Amino acid sequence: MTFREINSKMVEATVLPGQRLFSQRGAMLAYKGDVSFTPNLQGGQGGVMSMLGRRVTGEATPLMTVEGSGTVFFGHGGHHVHVIHLTGDTLYVEADRLLAFEGTLRQGTMFMGSQGGVMGLVRGQATGQGLFTTTLQGRGAVAVMAHGGVFELPVGPDRPVHVDPQAYVAHHGDVRNRLSAALGWREMVGRGSGEAFQLELSGSGTVYVQASEEKL
Amino acid sequence: MFRLQGSKVLAVEMTGDAVKAKNGSMVAYDGQMSFKKLTGGGDGLRGMVTRRLTGEQMAVMEVKGNGTCWFADRATEINLVRLQGEKLYVESGNLLVTDAALRTGTTFTGLRGASQGNGLFTTTVEGHGQAAIMSDGPAVALRVSPRHPLTVDPGAYVAHQGNVRQSFQSGVTFRTFLGEGGGEAFQIRFEGDGLVYVQPSERNTIAGDL
Repeated sequence: MTFREINSKMVEATVLPGQRLFSQRGAMLAYKGDVSFTPNLQGGQGGVMSMLGRRVTGEATPLMTVEGSGTVFFGHGGHHVHVIHLTGDTLYVEADRLLAFEGTLRQGTMFMGSQGGVMGLVRGQATGQGLFTTTLQGRGAVAVMAHGGVFELPVGPDRPVHVDPQAYVAHHGDVRNRLSAALGWREMVGRGSGEAFQLELSGSGTVYVQASEEKL
Repeated sequence: MFRLQGSKVLAVEMTGDAVKAKNGSMVAYDGQMSFKKLTGGGDGLRGMVTRRLTGEQMAVMEVKGNGTCWFADRATEINLVRLQGEKLYVESGNLLVTDAALRTGTTFTGLRGASQGNGLFTTTVEGHGQAAIMSDGPAVALRVSPRHPLTVDPGAYVAHQGNVRQSFQSGVTFRTFLGEGGGEAFQIRFEGDGLVYVQPSERNTIAGDL
């Protein structure tokens, strides 16, 4: 187990020789042992082309590589931290919500338009997430940040889940997402219920929702 | 059915019935739900007028459908209150979700409201059912009985229910005027029989500055 939750806002990571960790730059709180932190110019894995990809798409978060042997404590901005374990599937998460992840995971960026076409683009714009999102694939653990704690909701084929775009944190599994708009005349005259846009997630997997409508 | 999921998320299971919730507080749902804004904080035209006049405006939506709906608001703590015919007094900003069967209204609070920094009026919830109120940090419910009155800092007061009289207490002395006050110049005193909800945090009030 690489990440261990010390309390709701802090994780302890074990670093072993030959195993790398990536973390958001500046998120280290304390460390024990012989650990080195190298700023990662490329903002993650995958060489120069991936770096260009991330720069262009605005999904570039300053990352650092953590290597050595010892334990490192991570936390950032007093946000709640949640550890997600991946067993071969893909996690979709916004880059700025990533606190730390294991080096065994492959990082990539995904074009929103490839899921849901034009509505995917609208979705990215409407939710302020941009047109691209970060994907992590493989086996390993990820620590994500959220405002006010996270709860998991299972998504099943006969059980689609709707999520407030501002409260959406991440999802994994074989999940399709779609922006559903419930725009009526009330929204047009400024008397909306504040729930005009919702993310509809269907398929099978898990979605992570935070207890707040505040973005990080 | 109201159910707390952790301390910051409220799950409401619905089978065709409706609840009233603070505008925009839904974070997720499954099944079928519809959201409709209610005018005048759910009290119709009369509520619209009184709430405009009293400054106790609250944006409320009606949530109706089949399935589970999760509510949360800016990661504040949520407390469940069960009402059996009595009245709950709460600030409109602290009210998250109420059963559709509960009636809401406004009432005059007098000096207490002014000292809390949120106006002279407060919201009442009345009837049989459940309500969810929000607090900054986990709230404690303190019992008030005829033999044990309770005194509360206006900034930490969240809500109260039951047959409770409240009076305003001032601890202003000559020291306060010299700028040497203890920061507790005003208090609210509750007498009678009921419950008072207090949060472990203080709003900015005039009393706290003195």
